[in-house]
Amino acid sequence: MMSGRDLVSRAAPLLACLGLLGLWEIAALVLSTDSFPTAWVAIRAIPSILGDKESLINILDSLRRMAIGFAVGVIVSIPLGLMMGRSRLVASFFNPLLMVTYPVPKAALMPIIMLWLGVGDLAKTLVIFLGVSLPVIYHSFQGAKAVEEKMLWSGAAGNILFNSLDMGQYDTVYAMIIIIGAMGIGLDAAFENLRGKLVKWSEPSFEIPLSFA
Amino acid sequence: MKVAPSRPNIEDELAPARRQTNAMIAIDNVSHVFRTSGRQDHLALSNISLIIEDGAFVAILGPSGCGKSTLLYVVGGFVSPTEGLARVKGQAITGPGPDRGPVFQEFALFPWKSVLGNVMYGPRQQGVKSAEAEAQSRALIEMVGLKGFEHFYPKELSGGMKQRVALARTLAYHPAVLLMDEPFGALDAHTRTRLQNDLLNIWERDRKTVLFVTHSVDEAVFLSDRVVVMTRSPGRIKEVVEIDLPRPRRRSELLLDPRYQKYVVEIERMIDDTSEEQLRP
Ligand SMILES: Nc1ncnc2c1ncn2[C@@H]1O[C@H](COP(=O)(O)OP(=O)(O)OP(=O)(O)O)[C@@H](O)[C@H]1O
Ligand SMILES: [Mg+2]
Repeated sequence: MMSGRDLVSRAAPLLACLGLLGLWEIAALVLSTDSFPTAWVAIRAIPSILGDKESLINILDSLRRMAIGFAVGVIVSIPLGLMMGRSRLVASFFNPLLMVTYPVPKAALMPIIMLWLGVGDLAKTLVIFLGVSLPVIYHSFQGAKAVEEKMLWSGAAGNILFNSLDMGQYDTVYAMIIIIGAMGIGLDAAFENLRGKLVKWSEPSFEIPLSFA
Repeated sequence: MKVAPSRPNIEDELAPARRQTNAMIAIDNVSHVFRTSGRQDHLALSNISLIIEDGAFVAILGPSGCGKSTLLYVVGGFVSPTEGLARVKGQAITGPGPDRGPVFQEFALFPWKSVLGNVMYGPRQQGVKSAEAEAQSRALIEMVGLKGFEHFYPKELSGGMKQRVALARTLAYHPAVLLMDEPFGALDAHTRTRLQNDLLNIWERDRKTVLFVTHSVDEAVFLSDRVVVMTRSPGRIKEVVEIDLPRPRRRSELLLDPRYQKYVVEIERMIDDTSEEQLRP
């Protein structure tokens, strides 16, 4: 049996969504401009978008950019953040750069990135990449720093591969880089595959070399 | 049961010779300086030399901050000494290894693993098959008195239970040397006595080499073959006392044994002396 309290905590995310939609509805009704439809109108438009080939292709393109930006961001950020947390040298090298770029809104970088890379996939993917990496680097860094030394030592002592204090750790990091990299490529391939099945009419895009479906 | 009379012991006659040939750990003139940015460098260990033979139970006593943990970390390979060398089985210690199992005062359990997961960590790292590692680990968990708690997480355990898990996790990969840093310091008297007895049973069965840091003179005398008393910072070895009491030891008998009482008083006096040294400028 679920107690009332449990029920509320389970339903909390749903309630939050409904609340947000409610606020949207009210705000749209109050403002009542053409460019800001009510939540209900927006929801009703979803089926027609999902039924339309053109918009499906666009959505899938966005999702693909997100997947790539996210995968590459994670592949780079987690190992980098972990290394910053475990090595003072790495931290003092990257931390100032991180601290300077972290507070800048990624949207504000958009014009500069567009100047450099145009408005193609690469620019959009780069923005996603930056949006993903900076917080992930920061939090991996803080997380790795907070790991109790004795716990690392306990891990090292029980591990037959550890023969020297600071080596081995990097083996693991590089192994992780390779694994996560493989996962990223695999996910991208799987995604392209899925897309081929779902929307047969759309050509797979070869702009980005990661895709090889 | 009556206290066994002091008997001439052939082992004791042989002890010095055995120590030469059977050194498990050899600490040779080890000094360690902690360099801290801003503050003055801190000499934590000064010229420590100590030989611990295979199968010996050695306790380290000394005032707080005298470098006991640091010495243990040097043997563990977690801290490389600024001077001198420590060896295990004749090999210079350059890092941690599964031949030396630490049990830390802070437990340092893996919080994301269950009791079983923590204990299985070592065997799994060493390539023992999952089913076999699990069987061994369950046996160890039962031995330390935690049967039924296999799937609990560290945060769901009491201090004494965590300490048992930490001990089981270390025993699980069969280290030849146990490095124990005040392992029972945070426990209530009853649990402490129980774990001391458990540890002695394990040691008497497997004859591991044990280096055991403690603040309790009672505990040191009760458990060990030898007690090393260190001076206040910078840590030096002040005195080494051989504890010549018969084994297996029973707490109830030992507490009544005048020889035991004499060791305790003698060592307590040594520690008082080291504390007074500090008071004189
Ligand atoms: N990482 C460190 N950086 C700087 N100084 C340290 C560090 N670790 C220990 N010390 C210093 O070295 C000395 C010895 O510390 P250690 O932890 O070995 O003492 P201890 O004998 O184990 O004390 P306790 O009985 O309180 O556990 C202390 O004076 C301490 O301040
Ligand atoms: Mg200590």
